Amino acid sequence: MNQFIFGFLLLIFLALPPVAYLLESIMIVHMHMQMPLLVIAGFLMAIFFQNKFPQFFENWNHNGIPGILLFSIIMIYWMIPRAMDDALTFQTVELFKYISLPFLAGVPLRDSWQKISSKMKNAVIMIFTMIFFAMGWLYIKWPEQLCNNYLIIEQVTLGWGFLTMGVCMTIYLVYNGLVDPTAYERE
Amino acid sequence: MESAARNISFKEKANKALGIVPEDAIISKSYLFVSFIALLVGGVLGLLQGLNRAGLLELPLWFNYYQVLTAHGILLILVFTAFFTIGYFYAVLSHTLDGLLPKVRKMAWIGFGLKIFGFVLAVIPIIMNEASVMFTFYPPLAAHPVFYIGLVFIVVGVWMCAFGSFIQVANWRKRNKGEHVPILSYFATGVFVLLFFGSVPVAIEVFMIIPWALGWVETINVMLSRTLFWAFGHTLVNIWYLTAISAWYVVVPKVIGGRRFSDTLTRLVIIMLVVLNIPGGFHHQIVDPGITESVKFLHVFMSLAIGFPSLMTAYAMFSVFEKTAKKKGGKGVFAWFKKLPWGDVRFLAPMIAMIAFIPGGAGGIAQSTNQLNQVAHNTMWVVGHFHLTLGTTAVLTFFGISYWLVPFISKRVLTPAINKLGVIQTIFWTVGMIFMAGAMHWVGLLGSPRRTSYTTYSDHATALGWDPYLFFLAIGGTLLMIGIIIQVYAVIHLMFFAPKGETEFPIAEVEENATKTPYWTERWGVIIVIMLLVIAMGYVIPLVEMIVNAPPGSPPYSPW
Ligand code: HEM
Ligand SMILES: [Cu+2]
Repeated sequence: MNQFIFGFLLLIFLALPPVAYLLESIMIVHMHMQMPLLVIAGFLMAIFFQNKFPQFFENWNHNGIPGILLFSIIMIYWMIPRAMDDALTFQTVELFKYISLPFLAGVPLRDSWQKISSKMKNAVIMIFTMIFFAMGWLYIKWPEQLCNNYLIIEQVTLGWGFLTMGVCMTIYLVYNGLVDPTAYERE
Repeated sequence: MESAARNISFKEKANKALGIVPEDAIISKSYLFVSFIALLVGGVLGLLQGLNRAGLLELPLWFNYYQVLTAHGILLILVFTAFFTIGYFYAVLSHTLDGLLPKVRKMAWIGFGLKIFGFVLAVIPIIMNEASVMFTFYPPLAAHPVFYIGLVFIVVGVWMCAFGSFIQVANWRKRNKGEHVPILSYFATGVFVLLFFGSVPVAIEVFMIIPWALGWVETINVMLSRTLFWAFGHTLVNIWYLTAISAWYVVVPKVIGGRRFSDTLTRLVIIMLVVLNIPGGFHHQIVDPGITESVKFLHVFMSLAIGFPSLMTAYAMFSVFEKTAKKKGGKGVFAWFKKLPWGDVRFLAPMIAMIAFIPGGAGGIAQSTNQLNQVAHNTMWVVGHFHLTLGTTAVLTFFGISYWLVPFISKRVLTPAINKLGVIQTIFWTVGMIFMAGAMHWVGLLGSPRRTSYTTYSDHATALGWDPYLFFLAIGGTLLMIGIIIQVYAVIHLMFFAPKGETEFPIAEVEENATKTPYWTERWGVIIVIMLLVIAMGYVIPLVEMIVNAPPGSPPYSPW
């Protein structure tokens, strides 16, 4: 329950106009800080929904795959440059951002992550790593503004943000592949 | 649990009987020997500077103030601390992880050789007055290329030791499945992780500088190189801090006859320092142009985040003192004060180190503020600050460690006479630093610049007003020099001449009813990935800005 309250407070905090304004004023902070924080808010709140509607999750997310798919679709949608522009231009899209990221990405992520196998987890991370490299390349190389609201330099910065995160995830995957935990840990 | 307890006591007995493996002892001895010789030479140079700043001594042209300052900085900030840290933690790895592996031993020696070779390369141009660039070696000041090539060897030598420690720890964990790495080796892991990742940016910087110093490229991005330098420089600060608190958390409680603070929280402090540390580097660039205000603001936040583990450390120490004193029958709020072994240098030195961190840390927080930094930046205040934090908090802890570590690795004992000498040395150091660092802080606030040879600016009234304080600086420096001579004498004596015998490696146990430490604290791979993400968060925005919107760049300058 504590977690739910923290998640809820985080969501409220992120929705405060000055906070939203500050975070959205820098492109990379908008995509790589505000959006993940919204997902984390949902992740924390998920407990509440899991306890309240266990049957719903059992019926619709029995093996975790639908949830992870939903999470991925929402995440990829919010990586589209156009989507960020829309969020800044239309209140309704902004509202959709504040609902979709916590409740349609954060909540299913938590429910699914416990259910899917570790191979599946690595596959998900791998797919996101590839997407991140592709997005990084796109944002760095594209010669024009992709968003009306952000300058080219911000776009390039975001691109490097994608690339460095991609590198971090690659390191994690390599570590995961090379190091066998059973050599160090007791079951 | 029972069998684990028996295991420990058996291992302890074995260690007591056999002591440190001779091949491992000689590694630590060599590192510590170099370290304290660097202290001696660096101290002499420091005294020359102090006397010069007070207007008492004019340095000759062939050995000028900036040469001396460069050597003082490099000898003390790099050689003394790095060799001490590595020598200490290799003794820790050997003692707590069943002796060094032959491969690891070899790596420590290769690292030793590379560092000494690199150091010799770096010193030659300094002596020839071709590298008076100070220990920060910021472009556009350009030293002789050999200076930078020397730095490359030093960095590679450090990496050798870092990887040696990783191999040692991984091997131990394989042999002790599911167990926590002993706490001091856990500290060692944290320190070597920081040493490795912290020196990557400075290696990049040096590889940017070398072609520029050789004249192969015409200009260099000054802001970028400063930023890369401080990503390393600031990390070095936290390496000293981690090294010092390893003794506070683990050794000091044993010396005073108590038990150590919560194992989980200790490990958490280490993880936090490792994860949060590197982006803190920006607080050395608060007045640098070319970094937007919002980024600086975010980084003040990062810097102050480091304050949290520091405050936790302070809490932990008081908690240990209180508990120990209570057990010994102390009553009342200040009972712990009387129950502590003030006459034991192994306690006294680190204790004063901790006390010095109260004003030192407070000054640090003050100068992290934009407005106050504009007053203090590049004045003698800053020099006062790091002689208090590094020169006292870290260094006095190192001294305190030396009084048991050197006899331990030399299979000798700390005699009451040397203990007494240690107490005297601690007093010299404390009084000397109160004078010197105190005067530096004060005269800095009055505007006296750092890194500036003595001058009265044509007898300008303001500059003349600094003189009395600078005189106190020289007095403090003289006391410190006496302290250094005593300290180096003590180390040499304990290493080669003290009576033979067995000395204990003091490691405190946790409380009996301690809760179990969660196993995730051992997953360094995950901790490192999180650390890298935090580094990316801190550096992507300013670095992209500095590189993409770079100004024309600067040619090299060598104004000597
Ligand atoms: C006898 C003891 C010492 C004396 C008299 C002394 C004195 C000084 C003086 C006068 C300065 C130069 C101020 C300036 O012009 O900017 C200085 C700088 C410095 N000292 Fe010391 N110091 C002593 C010990 C130490 C120790 C033990 C350390 C560190 C372990 C240390 C680290 C440094 C560093 C890093 C600098 C800055 C160099 C630079 O600005 O490039 N000093 N010291
Ligand atoms: Cu710093």
